[in-house]
Amino acid sequence: MELCLIGLSHRTAPLAIRERLAVLSGEVEPLLRALLTLPEVTEAVVISTCNRVEVYVASADGAAASSAVRDHLRQRFDEQVGGELGVERHLYERVGRTAAHHLFRVTASLDSLVVGEPQILGQVKEAFDLAIRMGTAGPLLGFFFPRAFRVARKIRRDTGIARQPTSVSSVAVELARQVWSGFEGRRVLLVGAGKMADLAARALRAHGATVAVTNRTAARAEELAARLGCEVSPFGELEHALTRADIVVTSTGARQPIMGPVLLERVQKSRRKRPLVLIDIAVPRDVDPAVDDLEGIYRWDIDDLQHVAAQNLEDRQQEADRAEALVEEELSRCLSAQRSRAVGPTITALRARYLGVARTEAEKAATAAGGLDERSRRALFAAAEAIAAKLLHAPQVALKKGSGSDEAEALLAAAHALFDLPAVEPLVPDREDADAGDEAEEERMLAATSSSRGGGASDEAEVSKKASRW
Amino acid sequence: MDALTVIVVSSYALASVLYFAYHAAPGAALARTARLLLALGFVVQIVDIALHCLRGAHPASSGAEALVFIAWLMAGGYLIATVRYRLEAGGAFAVPAALVLLLLARVVPAASGPGSPAAIGTLGLVHVFLAMLGVALFALAAVIEGLYLVQERRLKRKELGRLRAGGGVPLDLLDRLAARCVSVGFPVFTLAIVTGTVWIARLGVLRGGGMVRPEYVLAVASWVAFGVLLVARAGAGWQGRRAAWLTVGGVFGVLLAALGYVIRTVA
Repeated sequence: MELCLIGLSHRTAPLAIRERLAVLSGEVEPLLRALLTLPEVTEAVVISTCNRVEVYVASADGAAASSAVRDHLRQRFDEQVGGELGVERHLYERVGRTAAHHLFRVTASLDSLVVGEPQILGQVKEAFDLAIRMGTAGPLLGFFFPRAFRVARKIRRDTGIARQPTSVSSVAVELARQVWSGFEGRRVLLVGAGKMADLAARALRAHGATVAVTNRTAARAEELAARLGCEVSPFGELEHALTRADIVVTSTGARQPIMGPVLLERVQKSRRKRPLVLIDIAVPRDVDPAVDDLEGIYRWDIDDLQHVAAQNLEDRQQEADRAEALVEEELSRCLSAQRSRAVGPTITALRARYLGVARTEAEKAATAAGGLDERSRRALFAAAEAIAAKLLHAPQVALKKGSGSDEAEALLAAAHALFDLPAVEPLVPDREDADAGDEAEEERMLAATSSSRGGGASDEAEVSKKASRW
Repeated sequence: MDALTVIVVSSYALASVLYFAYHAAPGAALARTARLLLALGFVVQIVDIALHCLRGAHPASSGAEALVFIAWLMAGGYLIATVRYRLEAGGAFAVPAALVLLLLARVVPAASGPGSPAAIGTLGLVHVFLAMLGVALFALAAVIEGLYLVQERRLKRKELGRLRAGGGVPLDLLDRLAARCVSVGFPVFTLAIVTGTVWIARLGVLRGGGMVRPEYVLAVASWVAFGVLLVARAGAGWQGRRAAWLTVGGVFGVLLAALGYVIRTVA
């Protein structure tokens, strides 16, 4: 049996194509059923996210299955969009080791648009769980998917691919954390109604901060406050609002700075020089850089935030190299385990067949000899079984030795052909990693990862949650 | 130096090097190894102190032994703080400070301090132990405030690379911890000054010695500085840079006073 993959992703298809070829959540089940009607396909899992549609199948003939699934998808997509998109050139396919390698990379978020983003692992698990529920995942996919989850968890734990935030809003949270150890009870003032500031405020509020909004246009402030579920502070009372705030996120469309050294010196005097974090996401800037000289003022503008985000992304890429090495290592181990796993049933079948023959022939000999006492019968049977066992010794050793090598499958096929063995009963899918205990552990791990990084990819998560299933 | 002291000095020295390296380029493995070395030195040092006590060289017996004990208290205090609050970046201040005190104590000639507990008397013992505890708490506060000043400067200069690498400790946490050390250390040091005053007054009466020595003046001046700091923190909301500099100044005075005491006991 071979693992095959056919799909398209953000690497091969632009958003304009992906959004038209999306497999919506309600369409996955019919697609799985349709795939199983293909004679070449014995198992199937469909992963559908905003960045990829991938079909993993198990088949006795990988090349034939790939071709059949590719035709099926092309036909489906052509029907969906009228054939004008040239779907064929956006599709890719992998068979055997490369398919497993791709699955491991996708699950570990190494193939994601933002390397290290935490959603993909959950999305792949959901896809696999659906296939299990529908009975479209069998022994082969049930072998590879749980191992992919394990590798992904190991990579998240042992490398830093998810350690540093990469979006501007989560970097803002991370920087505010350099001044305030926690945001519980801290007051955040949102000045203006920009999208980025909105995201940063949401991230801070998620960590327990209280948010207030102020804007030159009161209606927009009220609209944003209603959306965020927070209070409105009149723009005319900006100085008072600044005095009460611990963190200010500002993104107005003003042409000139609205917060300068004179205003902030007064504010700091009222605040008794208590630290005040100013996150200025506006262009042109809302806060005059001259305020940096004031005691207790910590100001970061969009350039600072983007600089940190870019460095974090670079760090993630470096960590991704370590993660790639881990994927290779785990994949080799996994493939070796798969080959060893296939040997057991073959050896059992081999022994059953030849010991059976030995016993039958011994029985015949005993009947032909006639009048054998019980002791002689036992000796005859023991001799027959011993001869069979001795003859089986060499092939058994060869199969076991060869199980870890690349020739394992050929060896098994040869054994089945030479010794005329029956087809081995398929094993049940390996669900050890898909149980509730592990899921809970994973959720805890993902939550800890994002919270310990100051929201890490929290806004990415929010955006991704919205779009995760289209 | 005996074998145990060599182990302690080596552990603290290696931990200091690793903490300096961590300060320059933060890394989890560095911090972990440094903490293990510090813990090893801390444990071996208490064994060393206990053995010295058995030989009659208890912490109150001489200025040198007092310094050793203060170094141990500082190392322990920092160890607790770093485990509880992840203050790895402060190791580059605290551990070398403990090491310097330890080396000072071990390189000065054998002490000619007050002598056995019986010779010092209960009041003297209480005074010495309270003073040591107070000095250690103030020194810990100074270490934390030193870290505050470094972190604050990095934030102001936007040295975001280092902060990003995990070397940063939130300013409010540092400020809170330093304030806590001072607020516990102050009453302890106050009691040390009171008991010390009574003790030397008695000694002065008994032996005809003088009451006013430079180290006493320094100790009282530092005590006043810490008192002002506490009042300013509570009343005028002092915090941040000003509080940090005042703490560092106060500790400088206290350490000078302790050093004066050590020099006098040797002389």
